Amino acid sequence: MRSSAVPALPLAQRVRGLEMPWNRVLSSATGPAGAATALGPWHPQEFAAECVETISEAGGMMVFVFRRMDGAPLAFRSGQYINIDFPIDGPGAEPVSRSYSISSAPTEPWTFSITIKRDPKGRVSPWAHDNIRPGTTLDMLGPVGAFHLADYDRRARFLLLAAGAGITPLMSMVRTVHSLPGQADVVLLYHGAAPDSFAFSEELDFLANVDFRIKVLYCLGDRECGEEWEGRTGRLSASLLDELVPDANGRQVFACGPEGYLNSATDLLRDVGVDDTSVFMEFFSGDREIRAEYAEEVAIAGEIAEEIAASTEEYFESQPAALDMYEPEYDADGPVEAVGAPTEAVDAQAAVPVEDEVEIEVVGVTDDTLAEAEPGPASDAGSAVPAESGATASAMGPSETNADDETEIVDPAALPTVGQGEHTMSFVRTGLNVCVGEDETVLQAARKAGVKIPANCQEGMCGSCKVVKLDGEVDLNHQGGIRAREIDAGKFLPCCSTAKSDLVIDA
Amino acid sequence: MRLDTRRTGFSLEAPFYTDPNLFNLDMQGVFGQHWVFACSVAEIPEPGDYVTLDYGPYSIIILRNDDGGVNVIHNVCRHRGARVLTESQGTTGNLVCGYHSWTYSPEGDLIHASAPGEMTFDKSCYSLKRAHGKIAAGLVFICLAEEPPTDFHETAKIFEPYVAPHELEKTKVAYQQNIVEEGNWKLVMENNRECYHCDGHPELACSLFPTWGLTDETIPPHLEDVWDRNQQAQASLEYRCRRYGLPYEVVEELDTRVGGIRISRESLDGAGESFSADGRRLSKKLLGDLPDFRLGRCSMHLQPNSWFHLLGDHVITFAAFPISATKTLVRTTWLVADDAVEGVDYDLESLTHTWKQTNLQDKNFVELCQQGAASPFYEQGPYMKSEYQVEAFIGWYVQRMREHVG
Repeated sequence: MRSSAVPALPLAQRVRGLEMPWNRVLSSATGPAGAATALGPWHPQEFAAECVETISEAGGMMVFVFRRMDGAPLAFRSGQYINIDFPIDGPGAEPVSRSYSISSAPTEPWTFSITIKRDPKGRVSPWAHDNIRPGTTLDMLGPVGAFHLADYDRRARFLLLAAGAGITPLMSMVRTVHSLPGQADVVLLYHGAAPDSFAFSEELDFLANVDFRIKVLYCLGDRECGEEWEGRTGRLSASLLDELVPDANGRQVFACGPEGYLNSATDLLRDVGVDDTSVFMEFFSGDREIRAEYAEEVAIAGEIAEEIAASTEEYFESQPAALDMYEPEYDADGPVEAVGAPTEAVDAQAAVPVEDEVEIEVVGVTDDTLAEAEPGPASDAGSAVPAESGATASAMGPSETNADDETEIVDPAALPTVGQGEHTMSFVRTGLNVCVGEDETVLQAARKAGVKIPANCQEGMCGSCKVVKLDGEVDLNHQGGIRAREIDAGKFLPCCSTAKSDLVIDA
Repeated sequence: MRLDTRRTGFSLEAPFYTDPNLFNLDMQGVFGQHWVFACSVAEIPEPGDYVTLDYGPYSIIILRNDDGGVNVIHNVCRHRGARVLTESQGTTGNLVCGYHSWTYSPEGDLIHASAPGEMTFDKSCYSLKRAHGKIAAGLVFICLAEEPPTDFHETAKIFEPYVAPHELEKTKVAYQQNIVEEGNWKLVMENNRECYHCDGHPELACSLFPTWGLTDETIPPHLEDVWDRNQQAQASLEYRCRRYGLPYEVVEELDTRVGGIRISRESLDGAGESFSADGRRLSKKLLGDLPDFRLGRCSMHLQPNSWFHLLGDHVITFAAFPISATKTLVRTTWLVADDAVEGVDYDLESLTHTWKQTNLQDKNFVELCQQGAASPFYEQGPYMKSEYQVEAFIGWYVQRMREHVG
């Protein structure tokens, strides 16, 4: 718990807002910065990773630290997950694929970690706990997911809501904020089932003590707790939030946990005045629809990864030799080969008595139950659905779809028209009609005509150019930069869309 | 027309509202001598951006210069007096008069005039005339006097802690409404300075407590419930302000200083965030680094010609520019965070609805008074207790005019 006896640090000078280190890379000129593009989480990849450390955590969780076999850093956005193939039926059999949120920070990209809670009834988590050891190599795909911190946030005021294993992506966020210099204000409200079930509590306490931007609150829910408990009790409720986070009203909320917990959070966040568009959620259990959405997300990521792998080979074959200063070191026998030291497991806690692990009984699904609803044999077992601590859609809130409910009616016919092509795109906010051919993207034609739409990757991956389509049909060939529910809400990515009819666009 | 024996607590005699000669005197004694609110930096965000203002006999250019300050220049060509800039706003490098292409730098220096055969023409004698300009907390003030009043920096020091957190330099203009009211500028200001008529503002009454200006003793029975709600809302607003380190106390020096001011932060009804029917935010992007949408309204009155509402989600500036004894331009400007996206973060119609309606209702009230002031049977009427700020405005005006007429 945060000790009030520690005097507050003198107020530091900071830059405004929170910016991820890779945010400037794409806009920098070529040259050395080009190397940093590898650190940009621009696309998912398939890669093998080797476990280098395992750490038992409270609450029946275990942290697995990995490094990529190819030595590259893992580029991802804080909050995203990776999909892992677990060879639980032996090396020859079909592996079981599961998604796990990354709990480490992308600002320390040389190793990364996932945190798995043991579900005695699950198929994968007991296997992982019992079998993954330093030296274990697994095939992975990632990063995946739209639940993450923004690359740049001018108003970095966050409320992080975690229930049980839901701490994992939020842990990544806390660590990321701590590692960055920008002005930020983070409150983590962490619900757990028992006083000794809070994974990462010591690190969180430390971070809250040394970084005045970070505040951590622990809460036990409705259960009986002993005299010793210094944290809060009570389920997530509007009155609890009002008391603990009286300024939730002005924060962005990232929430992660089981479906029941998140559903009640959705309602009460509205009660305390948080706008739906400021709420982002990651489901660690969910109904079939939610799980299907994830399966699709992972599938798309897999396709992209394959395409990129194919094109990267060509890319590296055509690269000039690197400058000397970036080459590996030499010794008397020639270049020191970057094969790395042999992997050897040691007991990191050799000198420390290990506590007996406590099996936690799961009693029904409450808003702070850490239930992992493993799909039964009758459900879609074998799909890439994160039934265990996996990930699901960030519910962007229903009001997203209301964005154009009351937009002023502009008569597209009254706007000036430029360009050539069979379809006319009306940019109602810019006040311009732009003609577009079937062979150019909406973004290309818009930019040529001077319509300003921010864009980044221009391949349908990053989602930077997302805009609302008020009318008309497009052929959208995205690569994971937009969610099904966003498309349903009328959004599309101009960078990878061609017009199939006349369009009216809110840009 | 007796400035020296004005009947305290009563409206002015009719000629003060109707007589063109007195209007000219107002233009000299008030608008020619004192700091006037012109615009906000959101209207001239970049170097080279300008607005032009016409009031009374004056025409002024306010141009954002390369140093982030403003150049205030009389919009009167030194050749034969033509208006140099004819647009109400725009962006320009040099200032070129459209009549004979006399060209001035952004500082107003004449840098080009076609002068074939002129032997004695000295460009340096023909700079555009300059006036004084100041930016305080993102608000632009101008003064046409040779020697401006010296207490303005004190006035600015009063309002800066209230206004600065809204970071006007990081806002953009969402909408600007210009209404010409058939009324003397003082009637416009008097109407703004009281809420005794607020029953006539149904849209505004959803969020702005119509108990404004009243006290426990002066609350009429039909407002008692609202009064209680107001007290509670104010208490929680003040708690929040203390939490966030935002000043909220009333500072009221409307007629006790030359730079007359009243400023405070007061609660709004309903959700307490903005001027909507339910009090909820009208723009989803907080201004500046504000931590909460529930910040009520920071409201400021400045003599002689402006008032402001600064909320968590948007800011509205109001300025009255006199046109003639019986005509006044009222300019209302809605500012939102510069990264707020229209149609996504805010809906323009919803954002502007309450004050568009309120302004039209106010225009009607002002015009009714103007018509009455023209009647031979008009007589000065008493300002009521809740209209003490009207009395303060008139008191300020009378003092300034006495100083001017000396």
